[in-house]
Order: sequence, then structure tokens, then C-alpha cells
Amino acid sequence: MLLSQGQNKQLLYNVSDLPQTLMSNPGAIVNFDGHFGIPLFSHISLSAGSSGVNLFDIFDDSNPNVNQRVTSTINRLTSKDYFTAQEQLEILSMGWRLNKDDYFSAGIYQEMDLFAYFPKDPAILVSQGNANYINVPFDFSHVSFTGEVLTVYHLGLNRKIDNQLTVGARVKMYSGIFNVQSVNNTGIFLTRNTPEGPNYYRHFAEDIDVRVNTSGFTTLRDENQTVQEASKDLLSKSFFGGNIGVGIDLGATYKIQNNLIVTGSIQDLGLMFQRDDVENYTYKGTYQTDGIEPLFPGIGPSGAAFPYWDEFEDEVDRNLVDETLNESYVTWRPFKLNASLQFRFGEDCPPCDYRIQTKKIYQNKVGIHLFGIKRPGSLKYALSTYYDTKVIPNLRIKVAYTLDDFSYTNVGLLLSTQLKKFNFYLAADNLFGYLNLAKSRYQSVQLGFQFILNK
Amino acid sequence: MSFPKPILKTYLFLLLIAGLTSCVKDIDLDQAESITLQPDLQVDLLIFDVDEVDFRDPITNNQKTIIRDTVRLEFLDDDYIQNDLSEVEFSFKYINSFPQSFNNSIFFLSENNNVQHRVDFPIDPGSMSSPVTTERIELIEQAQIGVIRRSIKMVVEIEVLPNSEPFTGELKFQSKGLFSFQF
Repeated sequence: MLLSQGQNKQLLYNVSDLPQTLMSNPGAIVNFDGHFGIPLFSHISLSAGSSGVNLFDIFDDSNPNVNQRVTSTINRLTSKDYFTAQEQLEILSMGWRLNKDDYFSAGIYQEMDLFAYFPKDPAILVSQGNANYINVPFDFSHVSFTGEVLTVYHLGLNRKIDNQLTVGARVKMYSGIFNVQSVNNTGIFLTRNTPEGPNYYRHFAEDIDVRVNTSGFTTLRDENQTVQEASKDLLSKSFFGGNIGVGIDLGATYKIQNNLIVTGSIQDLGLMFQRDDVENYTYKGTYQTDGIEPLFPGIGPSGAAFPYWDEFEDEVDRNLVDETLNESYVTWRPFKLNASLQFRFGEDCPPCDYRIQTKKIYQNKVGIHLFGIKRPGSLKYALSTYYDTKVIPNLRIKVAYTLDDFSYTNVGLLLSTQLKKFNFYLAADNLFGYLNLAKSRYQSVQLGFQFILNK
Repeated sequence: MSFPKPILKTYLFLLLIAGLTSCVKDIDLDQAESITLQPDLQVDLLIFDVDEVDFRDPITNNQKTIIRDTVRLEFLDDDYIQNDLSEVEFSFKYINSFPQSFNNSIFFLSENNNVQHRVDFPIDPGSMSSPVTTERIELIEQAQIGVIRRSIKMVVEIEVLPNSEPFTGELKFQSKGLFSFQF
């Protein structure tokens, strides 16, 4: 199983004291009656990762031969290695209990998500050329990347069906600011040795079909636009002035026993209709050549040359067609899956009072959490185990160990502090990576300030 | 409203630990300035296959001893050649089934037809049953690379050296360049 992260917020999942848990599972258990985030500060999330390389691999100061390390890194990486970067900023976040069973939540957040596989073969072609790769095809399907910046408006409802089952759903409207996508590319470039052929080699470009779709890009690169105009345009796109989409989150929590719960959710099951400010770049075709063939019509060095080169270029252009189009396209959001099994222990006994019906509160939780995210070509997973406890009434700590593509030593920590109604949380992943960020392949951090209300 | 001191101290302690321990060590980012891409590209250039008909004037039908043709290599004017080409190794190959020898001259000319570089070598005679291969490798090193950067045309000139044998056969030409770049 290919394990990886990327938008995995395992430290915030199943933390029933935090409203952010509803963003990864709208059917989570809710242990509060209302929340209101400090605008722009209720959830700030940053993460970046590279599955196959870190800064130290390239810039090791004990070895001055940087070019040798670049070459060996390119040779070592595979087309399954990838780079990710995510950012989320909650603009508004709020929620309140409608009745004893229903909790309503809503908000707006801005998100950036970048993902790219390492384009192994094109990288070798550009950095090393074809001389050492005669008869070896360069595969253009290795070019595969997505990127988007968007604003998300959402409304969610969490309902406790009975003492065992809680379900939830969140409807999302996406307002796209920028999108780029190049997936499902095909084609090879090959230089074949041809000892029986008309020249040393024959160059093949076979079944090339490379397409890059963009939206919101042409306006960004408009040099005549003033800063005010650009800001106005970005703001307009954030408020449905550009491309729009819809999506849904679904989730559920089921108590197998009072101290054993299972949860599951799917986030961002949705799509975007890229229709505004769209530009597509395509390169398609098949062509092969042995070189240019002069015909010796008798024109000497001083005379005008026969336009062999122009004919060659025309032939290439006829067979390998390069176009810029303005065609609408649809993108699926990278949906995420979560599933967990949690065992709770360490029952907290409230003061005995027969007049009040009290529910059992467990102070300690251990669990296992599987996260998956859809990326071009495959669904990728991360597997975490965690321990979640309240050290003192105002301080919750969650420690998680995650298996992923970036590290086998990924230990993360969440601290959540509640002072009366004011909550602050800080979650950092791959803590050992902070000892030397140059040797880390992945870091992520989430933090926020908010008011959490309890009746 | 203020945080209880123990919690505040805990956060401050963790931030201090993070601040003290979180760092970027053992790397020299200045090495980025030394990163170069050095691809070596094998590229087919010209090919042809001539016989005795190509040595006959199409109007007078008289036999010619010299034939030549010019091909513009427009890519030599591109930025990656002008700025980043460091070395070229040309390979030229003739397969001759004429019983005659030939003199071969390959010229690299500028836009104004000034000869920037010239490669001369004899082509050995062969026979229809046993064609003879003549190959020449011409290395243009970095010190001379300007001759290629200033060139835009490649001229191939073949001069037959008549003898008593009948002038009939085939002369095949192959050529390629190994272009080494430093970006």
C-alpha cells in the first residue's frame, strides 16, 4: 500500500472538543454547544512535502559537487515520487446547537492545494539529454500535476440519531480563483539506433498527447493590469465571480460499545466547472525523422538555399500540433477519506447527583486512523495511531504516530487549551523534522483561536 | 481574561524548545548558483543518397564532377545554441559503391556566406558488391564553439575523381551532431 499524507489532519480528527473536527468528519461527536472562530485566525493550516528528496540531498555542505548530487537525485527519484503543498485559511467559522441532537455549522475558508508527480523522464531528457539513452523511451505520461486556489463556502448539519449513531453532512460551494491541471498525458520520445537505416539514428515522437488546462491564469499574467484591478479581480473570483463548483462532505460515528467507536467520512466529494478565464495548451501528434535530405539541385554556396528547413518545420508542425484553446473543462476536487477505530478509557466520574443525568466522559483515547486522498492516477493513504488525553482540565494533548511516504518517524503533537470560552490549539506534525528542517521531507502545522461555548 | 500561568508557561516552553531546536543545518544554499544542466543531445542532421544521375546536368545532360547543396540549420540561431552550447561532435559517414574516389567538403557558413568552419576528407572508392564506408568525426571544442554559433547554413560539396572505371554506383551520406550544453 502506498502511504502518504497531504491534507491529512490526523491530529484534529476525532477531537470532539474542537470544531475543526467537524471539517474532517461532519458526523463527529460534538462535545460543545456553539463555536465562533476569530475571523482569519480560527484555522491556519500549512503543509509541504516531498516523498523522495529533501534540501540536504541537494545542498549538503560537506560535499561541494552539487551537480553530481542533482544528477544522482534525478536518477534515484521515480515517477511515483511527488511534491505537495497545501494551505488553508479559515475566514469565518461558526456553529451552534439547534437542539439536543442537531448541531449546525457554517463558514468560509480559502484553500490552496498543489500536487505534482516528479516528471522523471522529461527531467532526465532536459538535464542529461538523449545521448546516454539511445533506444530508451522518454515517457511524457510522467508529466502529471494539479494546482488550485479557491474559496469554500460551507453549511453543515450534525445529527445524533440515537445513543449509538451520529451522522453529518456538509454542503460546499467552491469559488475558484486559479486552477491548473495536466493529467492523463501520453506519448514517448525515442532516439533509436538504426544501423540498417538511412542515418545513425531515427527520432520518434509517438502518440504525443500533452494538455495543460488553466483557469484564472490569463488575468494573473496580464501585465497591463494595475494592482487595484488585480486585487478587485481576485476578490471577485473569491465571491463566485469566476468559476464555481459544488461538493459535499459526509460522515458518521458509531458507538460499538460505550468505549469503542468507529468513524468514517468523505470530504470534498465535488467538482469544479472551469468556464471563465480558461486557457488550454495542447501538443499532440506522431512524427519520426532521420534528418533533412538535400536533393542537390545545383545551387552553390553563394546561391539561395532551397528551403529544406522550412519544409522540415512545416512537416513537424503538421504532425505535432501545438495549440492554445479556450475550452471549458471540469475538475474533480481531491476527495479525502477518513476511517478510525477508537478505544476510550479512564472514565471521569462527575460528582454524584441523582437529579442530573450524566454521560460518561472518558479522559483517554487511543485509536487508529486511516486517511486517503485522491490524487491523479491513484488514491494515496496515511495510517496513524494516536493517544489523546486531558492532562489537566484545560489542556488536551494528542500524540500521533503516522506512517507515510515521507518518514517512518512521523510523530505529531496537538495541544488544545480552553480558558472559559476561549480556545487555542496548535498541532504540529513530524516533530523530529524540526530538529533539522533540511533533512525533513514533510512538515505541517495547524493552529487557531476561537470561542467554544458550552451551556 | 488571561491564561493560567502553568499553561502559558507550557506553551512558552514548547515554543522556546521549538525555536531553539528547529533549524536548517548542514546545507549550503549558495550552491544553488553552481547548479548547471549539462544535457548531451544526439541529433540527426543531413542524409542523402546520390547516384550517377545526380552528377548529370538536368538541362545539358553533361556529366558534372562537383555537386553541392545548402541546407539552412535555423536552430543554430536559437538562444540555447547561442548562449549555452559548449561543444559539438559531428559524425559524417559515406557509404560508397562507386568505383571512383570523391573529395568531400562540408562548409558551415554564416548568414553572409562567410565560411566559419570547413571539413574536408576523401571518400574511398568501393564497388556495387562491396560498398566502402568512410567515416569522419569532427570535434568542435568550447574554444572554437563560436564558429558554430556564427553559422546558419551547412553546405555539402562532393567532387568525383574520375578514373577508367565506369561511373555508376551509389553514394550514401549520414550525419549527426552530439550537442553538449551547459545551462
